[in-house]
Amino acid sequence: MSPLATLVESPTTVEDPVPAGVHGGMTGVRDRLVDGVAAAVGDLATGALVEVSLPLLRRAGSRPETLGQPEDPFSWKPAFARRSLGLAAVGACAGGRFRAPAEAVGPLADHAVDEWRRTGWRTFHWEPWFAGLGAGARAMVLAEATTWASHLWASADWGALGARARIGGADDLWTCPGPRTVRLKGRCEARVAPPAGGSGPVLVSVSCGNPSDRWEEELGYLALVAALRSPDQPVPVRVAGLWPDAGMRRTVDVDDALLSASAERVVGAVALVARARVTAGSDPV
Amino acid sequence: MTTSDAAGTDRPGSPRTRRGQGPGGRRTTGAPGWRPPAGPALLDRLRVTGRARPVPDPELVADLRSHLGLDVGTGHPVPGGPVVVTAARLTQALVCAAHAEPDGPREPEPTPALACGALIDVLFRQLVVTGSLDDPFADGLDALSVDDRRRPLLAWIDALAPGERDGLRAEVLRQAEGLRQRWPALDPSWLPRTKECLRVPATAGGFELVARVDLAVGRPAVDEASVALVDVTSGTPRAAHAADRRFHALVETLRSGVPPFAVATYYTRTGECDVDAVTADVVVHAARRCRAGLDVLVGAGPGRWSADGSSSWCGACADGPLQAPPTVHAAPPIAMAGVRTAAGATAPPPVGALPMCGERAA
Repeated sequence: MSPLATLVESPTTVEDPVPAGVHGGMTGVRDRLVDGVAAAVGDLATGALVEVSLPLLRRAGSRPETLGQPEDPFSWKPAFARRSLGLAAVGACAGGRFRAPAEAVGPLADHAVDEWRRTGWRTFHWEPWFAGLGAGARAMVLAEATTWASHLWASADWGALGARARIGGADDLWTCPGPRTVRLKGRCEARVAPPAGGSGPVLVSVSCGNPSDRWEEELGYLALVAALRSPDQPVPVRVAGLWPDAGMRRTVDVDDALLSASAERVVGAVALVARARVTAGSDPV
Repeated sequence: MTTSDAAGTDRPGSPRTRRGQGPGGRRTTGAPGWRPPAGPALLDRLRVTGRARPVPDPELVADLRSHLGLDVGTGHPVPGGPVVVTAARLTQALVCAAHAEPDGPREPEPTPALACGALIDVLFRQLVVTGSLDDPFADGLDALSVDDRRRPLLAWIDALAPGERDGLRAEVLRQAEGLRQRWPALDPSWLPRTKECLRVPATAGGFELVARVDLAVGRPAVDEASVALVDVTSGTPRAAHAADRRFHALVETLRSGVPPFAVATYYTRTGECDVDAVTADVVVHAARRCRAGLDVLVGAGPGRWSADGSSSWCGACADGPLQAPPTVHAAPPIAMAGVRTAAGATAPPPVGALPMCGERAA
């Protein structure tokens, strides 16, 4: 069994149900999050938008001085396309269509471009950009995606997980109620459903670089957003993190304490963003 | 990807190109009638090292970490974040006083050799991923155009006089054709990964070891080493190339807990391929050199190594025509778990070497 396979296997089964009360405090976590966020953004103009993501949480922790800096205008780069194409490659490999990501990325990219040309529908958003590239630049996109996907592909026996594993998928989004829009976005690379009779799913997150000192809260953030977005669904029971650059795999089991810590981290990051905006004068009261 | 002077005059088999081979190192040499390996023969050079593949050795990894201070870090915060220690920075840090730049290392100015290296770099990547090169010079420029860091170089190439540009193009086409003819197709199931990033942070911060290898092949190791790392260079062989690939072996060992079974440097200019079978000795030697560089980069090190030291780590000294071959392999063996010590090795430690943390008596 590959290392990640042991990580994603649900810690709870039919015989070992989720202990009562482990996730029973989610309502309280949500309430504290709403109150904390409302207080944190009180100085921003009504209608202001703050979007929280895992990269923003990390930036707030490691380089808060950059929060007030203007973002570079977006333009496509190979690194921006690697995740979406890489996830499609891993999904196709898990489904048995290809042996490995190196075999999958080219045909998948070509197919996406063909579909976009035929229907106007963009699966990945980058199809028009990719279609306009020359052979050398296209190869760089495929190379980035192959390297990225190979790590995820090698981390578990995805084929054996079968339908339980969902590679990619839509981001979890949850908007905090209030006059200023604070949107939480959770992006994980895979979700593994519990075995029959199990409780919540296991989320898998892939990050570049090294785990931070507060990696548990960061992984917990993904579970928090998933739980907020789908209150009727079971809360994820575990989050597995991969840091391929550093060769690290870590997991954290989700409980109320972790969700609370992650929520506090969100409030802290939102407060830093709001303060930076006010200081920079980009969002006056 | 490393690039050295494409106008160099080295030929395979010259005394200079024989330098830099380490334990287990093999090089295709320029014997009469020698032809660079190609296709399956080149693949065999990478796959079959003639040595048993390393197995996971937690004690060795623990000793390496201890020697490098990875579990301690610098012991003090470093302004601006951890010092990123790469193969290139190590080489710069270990240059002796005689070869050091007076004003410290500088960003290299664009040259035809540098441009050739950058183009071959992306063309190698393209060949590995797509298996084809259509119009190598155009493809290479095209690939560089989607890398913001390469804009200054692209602008420099655009500004070349027609004759210089033709010369660059001719060399790129020549090397690309060699790649196309010789580089073997890699089975997708071996998970070929280009520009693989390897990182090993110090637990308490301060610095991190970082390597970016041109090609990594093989699934993550389970019972024995299964990964090979390849650097590609458009220049002439230099001692620093051997040091670089062994540094990469060290970082991979620390990162994954298992050494790669081989590290190689492929020279697109000649088709030569240097391959080191990775043993404990190889990574221990790399750790000693890395420690010396760390002392300069992040610690209260001894400063520049003396050019008079016969066991200098300076790569420029090792490449010099009058310099005796590097004596680093004669350095006393390090007592580490799983490392066999050579009997009778009594040479003094390298100049400026510090005692190893937690070093145990043999």
